[in-house]
Amino acid sequence: MILDGHAAWQALIHHPLFGVGITLVAYQLALSAYEKTRWVFLQPVLLSMLLVIAVLLACGLTYVEYRKSAEVLTILLGPATVALAVPLFLNLRRIRLLLWPIMLTLLVGGVVATGLGVLLAWWFGAEPQMLMSMAPKSVTSPIAMLVADQIGGIAALAAVFVLITGVLGAILGPPLLSLVGARHHAAQGLALGLTAHAVGTAQALEVSEECGAFAALGMSLMGVATAVFLPLVVSFMV
Amino acid sequence: MLLRGLTWLVVFQLFGSALTVLLAPMLPGPIIGLVLLLGFFLLRGEVGEPLLVASSSLLRYLPLLLVPAAVGVMTYAAAIAADFWAVVGALVLSLALSLAFAGWLMQQLIERQARRREKA
Repeated sequence: MILDGHAAWQALIHHPLFGVGITLVAYQLALSAYEKTRWVFLQPVLLSMLLVIAVLLACGLTYVEYRKSAEVLTILLGPATVALAVPLFLNLRRIRLLLWPIMLTLLVGGVVATGLGVLLAWWFGAEPQMLMSMAPKSVTSPIAMLVADQIGGIAALAAVFVLITGVLGAILGPPLLSLVGARHHAAQGLALGLTAHAVGTAQALEVSEECGAFAALGMSLMGVATAVFLPLVVSFMV
Repeated sequence: MLLRGLTWLVVFQLFGSALTVLLAPMLPGPIIGLVLLLGFFLLRGEVGEPLLVASSSLLRYLPLLLVPAAVGVMTYAAAIAADFWAVVGALVLSLALSLAFAGWLMQQLIERQARRREKA
């Protein structure tokens, strides 16, 4: 009997669960590395992403195939977003108390986050299409992709900028926030959710439930505001 | 418990998606689902045990759920490399400045409100 190693290897890497498998393994490795070192650059999402990309390249698999086989995980993002209503509701009293500070921070912070990104990219010489894909970088990717498409950017590129922004927010957020003296968990959470959407919110949930609730609030309000106002602003300016 | 909570979450997301198509096509279904569920909690005045269990279990693994989408960066490596410094510079600087600014502003506003309440 001849053992067909090649066929076995193919069966392994093209198995419909292969994507889920490598993601789960990569995430747990990343998590334990992060917990052992507490080094900010070992942010679990970033590290697992790099591990998964390395495995895909080594096995010669395309992203399209991986995305399909990891769909079980991605599809749970929807219910997880809905689940953010729970921390929001549990902190509703605190949110009501801080209604005006929230609205003001959302307005000014949201304009700064969006405007500064476009302005800097323009100043650094990026193409117009690149600029329009960058404009919605601070909101959760389903909204960002739709908005980028509406204002003349590339939806897929917008999703990439959204992700880079989120990971950066999770890495740089905590040290920056303590640097500027944002000690209140509401201030930390709102800033994380407003500028770094879901990845920032995941980071905020690590701090405390209150922090996570304000991040969820910042993320949803920023998402809605961007979806409604950004296309309007762009249509006035162009 | 977990299963019942998950069922609620899925049902609310499905309602959200249907409503989105009817009323606000620029918003994603899960965000509308979030708003609907929040409205449901407001009506009932409390969060039931099943939803508490399901949401805390799901949210604990939120970073894991984001990994497959993050891997998508690999398909645009070439486009980003072409404009590397413009893209990365703009993303890093604008994120750092706006995040620090938003956190600082919120902290100032919270402190100011607290001072006013003390005076009043």
